[in-house]
Amino acid sequence: MSEIKSDVLVIGSGGAGLRAAIESCDRGASTTLVSNGALGKSGATMIAGADVTLDGAGAARIGLPGNEEDSKEKFFHDIVIQGYHLNNQKLVEAYVRDAPVRTKELIDWGIKYVWDGKRALLTQGVELNRVLVDQVRKRSITVADDVYTTDLLIQGNTVVGAVGVDINRGEIKAFRATSVVIATGGWQRAYSFTSAPGGMTGAMHVAALRAGADLVNMEMVTFCPNVILWPPALRGDIFPYILIEMFGDLLEKHGRPFLRDEYDSLIYKIATTTEWNKLIYSMAATRIVLRGDGSPQGGTYYSIKTVPTNIVDEAEKLYPGWKWLRTDFSNLMEWLKAGNAVEVAPAAHYMEGGILVDEHARTTLKGLYAAGECSGGLFGANRVASAITQILVQGAIAGKSASEFSKISKMREPDKSQLDGIQTRLLAPFARKTGIHAVDLKKRVRKIADNHLWVLRNGNGLKKAVSELESILSNDLPRLSLHTAARTYNKEWIDAIEIENTAQVLLASARSSLFRTESRGVHNRSDYPLTNNNSWLREVITRSVKGRLTLTTRPVTITKLRPPKGKFGFEEGILKAVKELGE
Amino acid sequence: MNLKTIKVRVSRFDPKVEKAPHYQTYEVPFEPRMTVMDVLDYIYENLDPTIAYHSHTSCHRRVCTRCNVTVNNKPGLSCHTEVAEDVTIDPLPRFKVIRDLVVEGL
Repeated sequence: MSEIKSDVLVIGSGGAGLRAAIESCDRGASTTLVSNGALGKSGATMIAGADVTLDGAGAARIGLPGNEEDSKEKFFHDIVIQGYHLNNQKLVEAYVRDAPVRTKELIDWGIKYVWDGKRALLTQGVELNRVLVDQVRKRSITVADDVYTTDLLIQGNTVVGAVGVDINRGEIKAFRATSVVIATGGWQRAYSFTSAPGGMTGAMHVAALRAGADLVNMEMVTFCPNVILWPPALRGDIFPYILIEMFGDLLEKHGRPFLRDEYDSLIYKIATTTEWNKLIYSMAATRIVLRGDGSPQGGTYYSIKTVPTNIVDEAEKLYPGWKWLRTDFSNLMEWLKAGNAVEVAPAAHYMEGGILVDEHARTTLKGLYAAGECSGGLFGANRVASAITQILVQGAIAGKSASEFSKISKMREPDKSQLDGIQTRLLAPFARKTGIHAVDLKKRVRKIADNHLWVLRNGNGLKKAVSELESILSNDLPRLSLHTAARTYNKEWIDAIEIENTAQVLLASARSSLFRTESRGVHNRSDYPLTNNNSWLREVITRSVKGRLTLTTRPVTITKLRPPKGKFGFEEGILKAVKELGE
Repeated sequence: MNLKTIKVRVSRFDPKVEKAPHYQTYEVPFEPRMTVMDVLDYIYENLDPTIAYHSHTSCHRRVCTRCNVTVNNKPGLSCHTEVAEDVTIDPLPRFKVIRDLVVEGL
């Protein structure tokens, strides 16, 4: 097994990993960055809509035409209230504190942007990715491409490195390090319909769990409500979500704008003017589909029919030629302008839960840090502020903490028997001549997520998910076999590795969802429809004890803002929060 | 039900054990607006799980560009190149082949 050594190992080459590697390197630690794809060409950052959010006064301090009336305290207040008070307030404090400095640095690094005049620097994922990759390339950071990391190396409760599969060569590689930063994003690829790119399968959530780290709030999954179902080339694209922030409506099968027709006018207003739109529209669209008023493919329709053509044409100035990211939407726009509607549905989009961290990005294991979407707690039960700011702020904090730890600690020898065990487990499917095929099992696993861990859950479905996943993990996975012995870019082997991870991470999510006997933010249960602030202002913690998942809770971390008492339904909770926001 | 099928000719090559690439032809049910990626996924999922094409970190948004292949002698991203009839899929020219359609350095 080949070996790469460094003070700090950063796993994941999206924005959080890139920013962590930059920080670690600048603080004098030898740094290796491992990407499961290629540097600059993988992860969710590159395809993000990508706003950077910060408070208006902070914006003014860094030279933007900001708003002195605003403050980081107000920003904090808004994030926590809209996070349904489940946010770890220490993480939110770090977010609002560091947002301006991280934004300023992007501007200094030459990012192209438009300032919205309030709280958002509007840019695009491709551009942000370009700027960060450029900074990584300027530094002496070792980069390992196409390495699918699957395991953490551990000595007692200290992490000493990681192991991954070099996909192109088919070799297993060890990465020894004094400290490790996980920055691998969410696990949206456990679902069949998602806006996230390939590779986001929760491998390092599972590796962290296996090594003894805690996960938090794994039940929290945000869905983007209006993601394109067809044509195939545009499937999974969130462009209608970008559009609906400007104009247009979601319609049910009779052509009625259900949110406007059926909900309180204030809820409609919130859904059309704030980032709460993801949650509100996803719930409303799911209710439409469940009552039989959805589209043939199980979604709803996005339409701009009521919008005057010159208003639509005006918006084209923001996206010249109707190009967004690198896709040409001009045909779609012509079709919509002609009065047609495009079929859209909620897609797995963002994970609020993840690896448990503190405000220094420390996990519950020594030497292990996590940053960005793979970590949990910052956004509580509903993300309304930018995940781009999250990856920048937390990436820099994790890079700092990891480099500091590497200076006071020594690199340790990995345990030979652990290395052998990992190698045996990863190569096991090659040894079997017959058995279950990866493709079939992958479909089964995703179906469990689609059926039982969707926008609206219930206890019976979740119990079913748990028993099916447990059965897959213990009965089917050990029987996976491959059709070719070729190790180089073996898709079935990659799938086999991914299935184990997605099944494990889904099990953690299903168990957490079952454990939280209430609805809160993006976690909604038809059998427990009320948000219960009297007994559920608690985070759900998942850990693996002797190979079995154990669930506990801890009270939310409060520093400033006290949550209100009481129980309330979905709409009631939103209206209550609006009062609390004072808007 | 859709009865139309298309013939898909895919360049297969494992440089570890073979001297030169050869074509393998698959018959794939046609779906309107299907992409090269859909065609390859169909083959992998239903006909031949040994086929290699880049998809493990594909973005499906024309951004990562790693699914770039040659479609009927023209380069194209498999996630966005639509297929209407019989098609030949090769790896990008002038790149070293790792296996089938997967190349080094893309």
